[in-house]
Amino acid sequence: MAQRSTEIIVGLFMVAGLAALMFLALQVSGLSPKSAEQTYTLYANFNDTGGLTPRGKVSMAGVTVGTIESITLDRETFQARVTMSIHAEVDNIPADSAAVIRTSGLLGEQYIDISIGGDLESLNAGDTFYSTQSAMNLERLISNFASGR
Amino acid sequence: MMDRIAGLGRLGIAIIASFGRSGQFLFGVLAGVPRPATGFPLLIKQLYAVGVLSLAIVVVSGLFIGMVLGLQGYTILSDYGSESAIGQMIALTLVRELGPVVTALLFAGRAGSALTAEIGLMKATEQLSSMEMMGVDPLRRVVAPRLWAGFLAMPVLAMIFSVVGIWGGMLVGVEWLGVFEGSFWGNMQSSVDFVDDVLNGFIKSVVFGFVCAWIAVYQGYDCVPTSAGISSATTKTVVYSSLAVLGLDFVLTAVMFGDF
Amino acid sequence: MESSAYITLRDVVFSRSGRRIFDGISLDIPKGKVTAIMGPSGTGKTTLLRLIGGQLRPDSGQVIVAGHDVPRLKRKALYQLREKMGMLFQSGALFTDLSVYENVAFPLRVHTSLPEDMIRDIVLMKLEAVGLRGARELMPSELSGGMTRRVALARSIALDPELIMYDEPFAGQDPIAMGVLVKLIRDLNSSMGLTSVLVSHDVPESLSICHYACIIADGKVIGEGTPEELRAHPSERVQQFLEGQPDGPVPFHYPSGDAAADFGVGGRSS
Repeated sequence: MAQRSTEIIVGLFMVAGLAALMFLALQVSGLSPKSAEQTYTLYANFNDTGGLTPRGKVSMAGVTVGTIESITLDRETFQARVTMSIHAEVDNIPADSAAVIRTSGLLGEQYIDISIGGDLESLNAGDTFYSTQSAMNLERLISNFASGR
Repeated sequence: MMDRIAGLGRLGIAIIASFGRSGQFLFGVLAGVPRPATGFPLLIKQLYAVGVLSLAIVVVSGLFIGMVLGLQGYTILSDYGSESAIGQMIALTLVRELGPVVTALLFAGRAGSALTAEIGLMKATEQLSSMEMMGVDPLRRVVAPRLWAGFLAMPVLAMIFSVVGIWGGMLVGVEWLGVFEGSFWGNMQSSVDFVDDVLNGFIKSVVFGFVCAWIAVYQGYDCVPTSAGISSATTKTVVYSSLAVLGLDFVLTAVMFGDF
Repeated sequence: MESSAYITLRDVVFSRSGRRIFDGISLDIPKGKVTAIMGPSGTGKTTLLRLIGGQLRPDSGQVIVAGHDVPRLKRKALYQLREKMGMLFQSGALFTDLSVYENVAFPLRVHTSLPEDMIRDIVLMKLEAVGLRGARELMPSELSGGMTRRVALARSIALDPELIMYDEPFAGQDPIAMGVLVKLIRDLNSSMGLTSVLVSHDVPESLSICHYACIIADGKVIGEGTPEELRAHPSERVQQFLEGQPDGPVPFHYPSGDAAADFGVGGRSS
C-alpha cells in the first residue's frame, strides 16, 4: 500500500520539526556550542543597582566577559550585592578596576561595565570589586543640574 | 424558579460527570499502550493525517503573522528610533506566545475537528461496537494512535510556525523596510534565550497538543451517535480546545515568565 | 428434547434512562440451532444482543454464555470470550478505511499470528462462502447494502466462532438479497455447527429458517417454541404479531383524549 511513502513523508515532517528546533536554537537564540564554559565568581557592592537584573551582561571595553548571576540586599551595609560569573579566560582584571552600571541604547537594558585600573595584581575568584559606580538616577541628575552643581 | 435551580444543578452535575468520564477515558487510552508491531504503523498513519496535512495551514498562517508582526512592529518601534529591535520583538512574540497558541488554535480547528468527526462517525456506524465485539479494544486501536499523534505533532507544528514567522518578519523588516540585517539577527540572538524562551515555548506546545488531542478524541468517542450528535461534538471540540488553550496559556505564562 | 442451552438468561432486569427495558426476562438459546428473537420495534432486541456480548451489564440477573457468567467476567476474559462470537450489525459496520479483503482479514491479523499466505487462504475461503471472492479489492463505499452485509458476515465468521448474532439482517433488503442472506444463515449454521441468534421483526423470513423462536414484548417473553408451536400459540398478542394485524392487544390508536372534544363536535356553545 502507500504505507512506505506515508512513512517517508512523516519522517520528513519530524525532520523538518527538528530542523526548526535547531534553527531556533542557533540562529534565533544565539545558542553557541561552547557555552558550557568555565567561569569564576566576582562580587560588587552598589548603593543603587537601578534596573539591573540577573542574566544581565558584564562587559569590559565593550566585549561581554560574563553574566550577572544574582542581586541580593546586604542587610548590614544596606547595599546591593551583585554576584557575577566571569569567563575563566579573562583572569587578569586589575585588582583596582571599577564596576560601573551603564545603560545600553535608548530602550536601556542596564549592564555592568568593568573600568580597568592600573594594578599589577589581578582579581581572584571570590574577590569583591573595590570601587563601584551606581546606576545613573535621572531625578538626581536633574536636581544636580537644576541646583547648578 | 426552583425548577430553574434544579436544572442548573443538573447541568453542573452533568458537566462534572463528563469530566469524570473523560478522565476515565484518558486513563483507558493511556493504560492500553499498543503493541509496537501493530501500534507503530497506526501511529505513523495518524501522524500523517494530523501533522503533515496541517502543515499547509500552519505555514501559511505563520508566514502572514510573521509579516504582520514585522509591519506593525516597525511602525511602533520607529517612534522610539529602535527599529533594529524588531528582530527580537518578532522572535520573542512568536517563540514565547504566538507560536504555541496560534498553532494550537489552528490545530484544534483543523485536525481536532477532523479527529472528532472521524471517531464520531465510527461510533455512529457501529464500527467501534463491532471492533469491541471482535475482541479488539477500540481505545487501543483507534483512539490511542490519534492521541499520541496529536501530542507529537503539535510541538513540531509550533516550531515550524515560529520559524516561518520569523522568516516572514525578516522578509518584511530587512528586505522591504530596510532594517539592517546584522542588527536584526544580532539583537534577536542576544535577547532570546534558548532555555527560557524556546524551551518554554516548546513545553507550552506539548501541553497544548496533549489537551487539544484529548478533547478531540474524547468528544468523538462520547458523542451521540447521530449526524446531529457528530456535528455538535465537532463544534464542542473546537470551542473547548480553544478555551482550554487560552486559559492554560495564561497559567503557563504566569508560571514560566512571571518573576515570582 | 432440547440440546443443552448455549446461552441462558435468568431473571434479567435492565433499565436505561429510567425505562425498564427488561423486567425479569428468562430464556434459553439452544446450541447448534438457529434461534429467532422477534418482537415489536423498541422492545430491546438489540439490547439483548449487547447483553449477551457483554457490552452492557444487566441491573440484576444472570447472563450465561457457554458456561461463562458474562457480566462478571474481567476485561481480558471477556475479550477472549468475544473471540468465539461473531456479530453482524444492522449496518454491516465495515471499517471504511479498509478494503473488503482487509476487513475480513482484520480479526485474523489481530487475534492470530498466522503467516500472510494462510490469512489469504482463510479470507478468500470466507469470501467464497458468502459469494464475494471476486469483490475483495473493493472499498466499502463501493458496495451495495446487501454486499456490505455479506462482507460483514464473512468477517464475523473469519475466526470460526461458536456463536453468531445477527441484528436485523433482513431490514431493508430487496428480495434477492434477502434470499441470499436466508440461504447463507441456514447453510452456515449447519455447515459450521454454529449457534445462531437472529434478531428480527421480519416474521416470514425468520420463521422460515429458524429452529426455535422467542417473541419478546414489554420486557418479557410472551411466546416461545418451534415455528409450528408459535403459529398455533393461543396468546392473542403472539397472533397479532405473527399475523401482522394492525389492531389487537397492541392498539392502533395512540392513547388520546376524547375525539369529540378535539374535533369540536357536539356541545359547542356558540
